[in-house]
Amino acid sequence: MSKIILMTFIFATSLIAGEAHEIIKKLDENFRGKNIYMKLNMKIVSMGHERVMKMQSYSQGTKKSFVKIIYPPKDEGITFLSLDREMWQYVPKIERIIKIPPSMMLQKWMGSDITNDDMVKQSSIVEDYEPKIIKRDGSVVTIELTPKENAPVVWGKIILNIDTVTYTSHKDIFYDEEGKEVRYFIYKDVKKVGNYFIPTYWRVQSSDIAERYTEMVIEEVEYDTKISEEYFTKSALKRFSK
Amino acid sequence: MFKLALKNTLFYKGRSITTAVLTFVSTILFILFISLQDGSHNAMLENSLKIYTGAIEIYHRDYRDVGGNEYLIQDAKAITDKLAKIDAVEAFSTRYETYGLFSSKEYSAASMLAGVEPSKESVLSSLGTALKEGKFLDENAGNCIYMGAELVKKLKLGIGDEVAFVGSASDDSFAADIFKLCGVFKTGLFEFDSSASFVSRSYFDELMNGYNKASYITIKLKNIDDADIVNSQIIKVLDDENLESLTWKTLMKSMVEMMEIDSIFGYISLSLFLVVIFFVIMIYGFINISSRIKEFGVLRSIGLSKKNILLLLFYEIFILSTISVILATPIAAYICYYYNINPVVIKGIAEMYKDYGVVSDEIPFNFDMFTIFWNVAVVYILNFLSILYPYLYINSFKPIEATRHV
Amino acid sequence: MYKLILKMAWKNSFMRLSRTLLVIIMIGVSMSMMLGIQGIYDGMVNNMVDKNRRSDSGDITIFAKDYRVNRDLLYRIKNVHEIKNEIQKMDGVEAVVLRIRADGLLSTARKSSFASVIGIDLKEEEHFGKFSEFLKEGTVDLQKQGAIIGVELAKTLKVRVGSKIIFSTQDGSGEINSIALYIRAIVQTTNIALDNSAIFIDIGQLHKFLGTASTEATQISIRGNGEKLYGELKSKYPNLDVKTFLELQPMIKQMQDLMVIFNSVTFFIVMSVVFVGIFGVMYVSILDRIREFGIMLSVGMHYKYIRLQIFFEALFVGLMGYLSGAVLGAVILVYLKNKGIDLSSFSDALEMWGYESVIHGTIKISYFTTTFASIITASLFSILIPLRKIKKLNPIEVIKADK
Repeated sequence: MSKIILMTFIFATSLIAGEAHEIIKKLDENFRGKNIYMKLNMKIVSMGHERVMKMQSYSQGTKKSFVKIIYPPKDEGITFLSLDREMWQYVPKIERIIKIPPSMMLQKWMGSDITNDDMVKQSSIVEDYEPKIIKRDGSVVTIELTPKENAPVVWGKIILNIDTVTYTSHKDIFYDEEGKEVRYFIYKDVKKVGNYFIPTYWRVQSSDIAERYTEMVIEEVEYDTKISEEYFTKSALKRFSK
Repeated sequence: MFKLALKNTLFYKGRSITTAVLTFVSTILFILFISLQDGSHNAMLENSLKIYTGAIEIYHRDYRDVGGNEYLIQDAKAITDKLAKIDAVEAFSTRYETYGLFSSKEYSAASMLAGVEPSKESVLSSLGTALKEGKFLDENAGNCIYMGAELVKKLKLGIGDEVAFVGSASDDSFAADIFKLCGVFKTGLFEFDSSASFVSRSYFDELMNGYNKASYITIKLKNIDDADIVNSQIIKVLDDENLESLTWKTLMKSMVEMMEIDSIFGYISLSLFLVVIFFVIMIYGFINISSRIKEFGVLRSIGLSKKNILLLLFYEIFILSTISVILATPIAAYICYYYNINPVVIKGIAEMYKDYGVVSDEIPFNFDMFTIFWNVAVVYILNFLSILYPYLYINSFKPIEATRHV
Repeated sequence: MYKLILKMAWKNSFMRLSRTLLVIIMIGVSMSMMLGIQGIYDGMVNNMVDKNRRSDSGDITIFAKDYRVNRDLLYRIKNVHEIKNEIQKMDGVEAVVLRIRADGLLSTARKSSFASVIGIDLKEEEHFGKFSEFLKEGTVDLQKQGAIIGVELAKTLKVRVGSKIIFSTQDGSGEINSIALYIRAIVQTTNIALDNSAIFIDIGQLHKFLGTASTEATQISIRGNGEKLYGELKSKYPNLDVKTFLELQPMIKQMQDLMVIFNSVTFFIVMSVVFVGIFGVMYVSILDRIREFGIMLSVGMHYKYIRLQIFFEALFVGLMGYLSGAVLGAVILVYLKNKGIDLSSFSDALEMWGYESVIHGTIKISYFTTTFASIITASLFSILIPLRKIKKLNPIEVIKADK
C-alpha cells in the first residue's frame, strides 16, 4: 500500500515538474516562435524625465537577433547584432562596428532597464533554471525558477506568473541571491497572432526606485515569416543601418 | 648672577664649546628635518591637488558611493553663483565625468571621459601643464580630445588620429562620437594617465546633453589652509541636504593618512637623534658640574640659596643655548628658505614614487616661521631639562661637604 | 701585571659612578632606540616583499613574450609541464607554480566590477607561498567551482563567503563565456593588485572554462635563490620573458635601497654623537687623574701600561653600554616582532599601499654585530686625544701642579 502511495507521489511530482517545464517552454515559444519580427516603442522613465525610442527587431531561434533603432533621429540607424553570446553594435555617426566586451554586458541597454545580458541570454531561462510550480490560481500558475547548480546567472530566483490559457506571463519578479527583490516585468494586452499569443505591453520596473521604469509597446509583430539570413551577419550591421 | 654665569661659560671652555656645538647641530638638524618632511608632504599634496583634485569639491549626495547619472548635480549654475560670492574661493569649475568605451582602429579600452572648462582648468589644475605632446584644449576645441599618455599607448594612437567613443548621455540615452586626439598628457599618476581623457565642455554638453549638469564642482582656494573654514561656509551658503561639500582631507584620505604615518616615523627617528644629543649635553653638563662641586659649596656657604644655584645653572645653559640658537636658526632658516624656493631635485624620484602620487622630481623644503619657532623651543626645553640631573646631584652635597670635595 | 691593570681599569671605570652610568645609559638608550627603529623599518619592507613574493611572483617569474605588455590570454606559455619539470631539477629551486590568468567582469545581481581570475593549484601554492596564511574568512577550498576572492574586491561587490558570483570573459578562442563561482574564502595578501581585483579558482577549472589546454599557462613563478639561477633560466628560455622579483617590482627595490641609505645615515649620526659623549667622559676622567698618571709615570711605570689601562677603561664603558643597549634593544625588538605597532587607525592608507595595519619588526643578527663594532670603535677612538695628552706629560710638572 505504502508503495503505491509512494509511486503515485513520485509520479505526481514528476508530472508537476514536467508540467512546469512544459509551461516554461511554451512561454518561451510564444516569445520567439521559429522566428519573429517586431516593431516596438520603448519609453524609458528615470529621474523625472522620459525618453522614447522606436526600433525594429528580427530574431531567429534563441541565438540570433538583430535590432535597429528607427527613432529618435539622433540614434536612428544604430544596429545591434547578437549571435550566441556575443554582441556587436554599429553606430552610423562614428561609422564603426563595436564588439561589446564582457565588461559592458551588464550595462543598461540603450539606457533602459534591460541589460545587454538580457538581450543575449534570452535562451537561458529554459537552459539555466529549474522551474517549480508553487501556486495555482485558476488559469494562472506561479512558477519559481531557481538557477541550476553552477548556471552562470546572477539572479537568485525568478518568479513568473503565467496564464496557462495563452502561455504568457503577466508578472516576472527577479530576486538577488539573498532573496531581495531587484526588479520586475509586467506584461499586459495579450494579442493572438497566428498560433501564438504575445503581450503587447511590457514594463520593466526597478524594485528600489519607483519612478524608474521602462515601458515597451509592441506595435507590429509577425511570426514565422521568412527573415533573411543576411540579417544575422556582421555585414548586416552596416548594410541595414540605412 | 647672570654675570657670574657668563664668566663660568667663558671659563669652562670645553663644556661650553661642546654644548654649544651640539645645540647648534641639533637645532639645524631639527629644523631641516622637519622642514624637509613637511615640505615633501606639502609638495605631494600640492602636486595631487594641482593635478586634478580640488581643495574642496561639491557633490550630489551618493555620487561618490553609488555613482551614475541619477546623482549628477542638475543645476550647477545655482551653485556656482553662490560660490562666486565667497571671498576665499579663488576659482571654481564644473566637471562632468562619464565612463565609456574608446576604440581606435584595432584596440579598445574602457575609460573616463570628462567634460571640462579648459580656461578654468588652467587656473585650477595642472592638466594643461602636464602636456606631453600636441596641445591642451581650449573653449573652441570642438571634438578635440586630451588623453592620458598610458591610455594613448593602450589604444595605439597618434596626434591627429581619430578615436571613437561609445557611452551614455546624461539622460541615459546613447552617446557616441568620434574625437580627434589633439593632446597627450602625462602627470606621472599611472592610474590617471591610463584612464582619463578630456573634452571641452562646450562640445561635450552637446553630445551628452549635459548643459548645466555636473558630476561635481571643484574649487581652488586662495589659501588651502583655510579649507575647513571655507568648507563650512560653503555648506552654509549652499544650504542643501542633497549636496555634500568635501575638503581635500576627505577626498584624499588615504594620502593624508600615509603622510601622517610617515610623519610619525619621521618624528620617531628624529627623537632618537634628539635623545642622544640631549644625553651628551647632559653628560657634559654633569661632568662640568661635578668638577665644580667645591665651587658650589663655597657659593652655598657664602649664602646663595638652592634657587640661586639653579638660576646660575639655568643662566649658563641659557647663554650657551641662545648663542647656538642665534647662530643656527638663521642658517637653518636660510637653508629652508633657499630650498623652499629652489627645491632639491633628485632625478628619478617621480618615476620611483609614481604610484604614490609623487609627480615631480623636486623636493622643496617647508619654510614656516612657526615651525622653526617650535623647533627652537623644543631644543631649549631639552637643554633646560639637561641641567636638572646635575642640579640634583649638587644638591645631594651639603655645602660644607662640598667645599672639601676633591 | 695585566691582571693588575685590568683590575685598576675596572675600579677606575666605576670611581665616578654616576658619570659612567650616564654614559652607559646614553649608549643603552640610543642604541636600543636605534635598533627598534631599524627593526620596524626593515619589518615593514620585509613584510611587503615577503607577501608580494609569496602571493604572486616568487623570486623569478616567467611569462610568454609580450604578455606583460598586453596582458592578454593570447600570450600563453606552451608545454608548461615540461618546463616546470626542467626547472624543478635545476639547482637552488625550491618551488615552482603555474598560473593562468584572465581578465573580465565579475558580477552579482546588483553590482559588477573588473576582476582577474587566476587559476591556481592550491597544494602547490601552499608549498610555494603558504597561501592559507592569507586567509581572512572562510575556508581555503576550491572544489566544485569554489573561489577565493581578494578582500577589497569582496568589499566592492558586497559579497561574502557563500555568495555566488558570475565571471564573464573572452575565452581562449575569443568567445564570451560565463561561469558561476561560489566564494569559499576571502583573502588578504596585502599585495594591492591582488586584493583589489583577484579571484582565485582551481587551475583545472579555469582551463576548462577558458578552453585552454592544461599544458598552457600565462605565468610560471619560481621560488629559489641566486643570480645564477636567473642567468641559467634566461639563457635556457630565450623565447620567454624571465624576470626577477625586483625587476617586476622596481618600486620595492627602490624602497629597499632607500631604507638602507636611511638606516646608515641614522646609524652614522647616532654613532658620532655617542662618540662625542664617550669622548667627553673619557677625556675628563683622564684629566681628573692626570696627577695620578704623572705619579705612575714618575715611579717608572711604562707609558704602555697606562695606555693599556685607559684602553681597558674605555672598553669596559663601551661594553657595558653595548650590553645594556643590546639587552634593552632585544627586548624592544622582541616586543615589536611579536606584538608589533598597531596602526589600525591608519589602516585605510596602509592597506592601500600594501602594508599591514599592524606592523611587526624584524630582528637581524647584523643589528647587534654592527652596533657592537661601532660602539667599541667609538669608545676606543675616544681615548686617542686624552692619551696624547698623557704622552706629552712631564711627570714632575704634573705632580707639582696643584690641580
